[in-house]
Amino acid sequence: MAEKIPVGEERKVEFLGGAAIDGAPITYIIVLAAVVVALSFFPMSVILAIGGSFPMSQGILGLVGWVLGPIAGAVSSGIGATIGVFLAPHTAGPIPLLRIWGSLVTSFAAGTMVLGQKRRSWWFWAWLYALLSFLYLVGRALFINGVGLWPVFANTFIDWSALILFALPTRTLFAKWINSKQWGLVIAGLGLGTWMAYGITHASITAIMYHMFNWPEEVWITLIPLIPFENLMRALVGIVIGGGVIAGLRALGLVKPEHAIY
Amino acid sequence: MPDPITVFKDVSYQYPQSSDFALINVNLEVYEGEFLGLIGPTGAGKTTFCLAFNGIVPQFYGGRFFGSVTVAGLDTLDHPISEMARYVGMVFEDPETQLIATSVENEVAFALENLKIHREEIIERVSYALSAVRLAGYEKKHPHELSGGEKQRLAIAAAIAVKPSLLIFDEPTSQLDPAGAEEVFATAKALNRESGITIVMASHSAEEMATFADRVVVLSQGEVTALGTPEEIYSDIELLEQNSLRPPQVASTFYTLGKKEIAIPKVPVQMQDAIPLLVDLNQIRSGDDYAIETPPENKGKPLLSVKDLTHVYPDGTKALHEISLDIAKGEYVLIAGQNGAGKTTLVKHFLNLLQPTQGSVKLDGNNTKEMAVSELAHRIGYVAQNPDHQIFNATVGDEIRFALNNLGFDPEEAESRAMESLEAMGLGGVQDVHPLTLPKGDRARVVISAILVMKPDIIIFDEPTTGQDYLGAKQILEISRDLHQQGKTIIVITHHLYLMPDYADRVIVMGKGSILLDEDIRTAFHATDTLARTYLLAPQAVLLSQELQKINNEFPPLLTPEEIVDYFS
Repeated sequence: MAEKIPVGEERKVEFLGGAAIDGAPITYIIVLAAVVVALSFFPMSVILAIGGSFPMSQGILGLVGWVLGPIAGAVSSGIGATIGVFLAPHTAGPIPLLRIWGSLVTSFAAGTMVLGQKRRSWWFWAWLYALLSFLYLVGRALFINGVGLWPVFANTFIDWSALILFALPTRTLFAKWINSKQWGLVIAGLGLGTWMAYGITHASITAIMYHMFNWPEEVWITLIPLIPFENLMRALVGIVIGGGVIAGLRALGLVKPEHAIY
Repeated sequence: MPDPITVFKDVSYQYPQSSDFALINVNLEVYEGEFLGLIGPTGAGKTTFCLAFNGIVPQFYGGRFFGSVTVAGLDTLDHPISEMARYVGMVFEDPETQLIATSVENEVAFALENLKIHREEIIERVSYALSAVRLAGYEKKHPHELSGGEKQRLAIAAAIAVKPSLLIFDEPTSQLDPAGAEEVFATAKALNRESGITIVMASHSAEEMATFADRVVVLSQGEVTALGTPEEIYSDIELLEQNSLRPPQVASTFYTLGKKEIAIPKVPVQMQDAIPLLVDLNQIRSGDDYAIETPPENKGKPLLSVKDLTHVYPDGTKALHEISLDIAKGEYVLIAGQNGAGKTTLVKHFLNLLQPTQGSVKLDGNNTKEMAVSELAHRIGYVAQNPDHQIFNATVGDEIRFALNNLGFDPEEAESRAMESLEAMGLGGVQDVHPLTLPKGDRARVVISAILVMKPDIIIFDEPTTGQDYLGAKQILEISRDLHQQGKTIIVITHHLYLMPDYADRVIVMGKGSILLDEDIRTAFHATDTLARTYLLAPQAVLLSQELQKINNEFPPLLTPEEIVDYFS
């Protein structure tokens, strides 16, 4: 078969019709939304500050963005998280709307980690939003509530590390790793990418929560080891599930959503 | 000549991640109102060809596409699949994968609702489609209550309700018993004749294809290698052999007789064309002293002993009714019967995957009910009907080594056994490939390989030839024969009776949960009335032999084309 040369003209192959959102087939969006719902049932940790646990689905929100792109990824995560907060209220947190918003932002941010020229500036808007949220959070803690500099610095480690990684070429580097044929790099890309994408969201959500709850310095200090640990868990979930999903998608050779980077 | 409804022009297609072309430079016109048969060995590109009609290839799969496919004037790359679906209906191999609704009428209405057709018209079309496939009266039934043939007819009804101009069938009969397969072919032909729907059907069923198709196209390695009437294609035995395809038995019988310098006016491809030739053939009568070989009777100690076995499923379905049988060490047993006859239920009791409602199953005198499934798995290898149900590793090599690793085998021994097993199944080069990317035939071989590494005493092949081309089916059966010759006890469940005379010694025919017949293969295959009671059809060679018996009542009960040829040579 391989020796024969096609005589016909090569055609541009694209998925046509309404059964796609931003180049991602609806079926993919539904399947990944269903995975988000399913993983919403599994609590991963206890967030002391707000008195709730967060769902395992947060570990795959980045993956959803890398598979579907920023818009379809946000739609898929948003649908999954919305259903998830109703079906699994034990992981919905005190403000379920924020859980949904956070899911949507994470997948959007992950989806802006593009490899080509198309949409190469979209990341900036996600980053700017996270940066403004971060500045508000830090400013409020330091200047209004009088929390010490060191607790704020240590507590917001995942936020500022994500902001830095997202602004630097590391954002594109992680995307390249996820796209790599070498599994070591794919795993590193998934782990660091998940850390970074959720970190972007964490800053924005925490700013809103802090505006509402204004927890004292003691809580800031208590959470210093917990928050990075929780994000590490998300990164591990991203690696385990993301590795399997990407391996499967690559092996089966199904059509890639237009903005997928795997 | 009617107008072409579909034109393939210089079509080549390469799946993503694949270095080979699944289709290469295909040029073909499908004419309005014709029944086009599509044949080719496993991996020839038949499914890809079928999926190209409505744009699933390449729109859904991606990859590289060259040339053009137009259906009713629409280019499949320029129109969404949903639009192409109005013109092209599809029926796949496994009806289970197509049925999604909770009632027969909802199933047929589903696509119509999605196309926003008015309620009154939906009701009208559901009624038309169900009548066309002879399922009127089944509207409220759950699709899972239907038999295999009925499910496939329901899938056809769902496809024709959209009133497509073209209906594509991709191996729609491979999982059905012969009667179910004939039902599907007859339904397709009726739609073709009465409603003028153009049919394209990929199938390995040579006898039915020879009867029902107007033209047959042979696909090999993604290329069209021949195109002609069934008479032209199926009488060209060399062409079929080159493409690992099986001719109808009447064709191979008369072709081989012709090769033996016996005057044959033409090679018939259908039974009805062969019968008039038998009178002349009988004049030769060179086999008066023909001796029939009888297989040695195995009266050893029973290895498996089933006594008064009854099984009732939780929903009240009585699947087995007081079955008693013994299988001795070293036997090669064929279990045959219609879909739903209880064959798989029976063998699942051997493995303690199901437990008797009444009666007992003993392995070497030990009641299997009291044995752990893991213990039985060492002794009895089970190759299930659907290979995908037994595959769960990411590479073929991991799949084969899985059991050995879990049993604590030395890695070198495990590797060596795995390689030996892979080579035996012709899978040497694919150990690092994801099993689900392989064609179905190869996936079945992966499962068989994974069983063989365990070196069990008894091996049960449950419909092992489903979805296989002739060569693939023979390869699997050759392996079963090798294992039999090594002293293993082999149990094969299959509808494909024509494949079995070279292998099985004993045949157990089941119908509605009971044993209808337990005889040597020659007696069993010639008990055509009993076979018909369980919707089985004897191979054409048996039917030819019986037709010859009508002319000459001393004619022996022959089983295969080779025996008939030997008789007259």
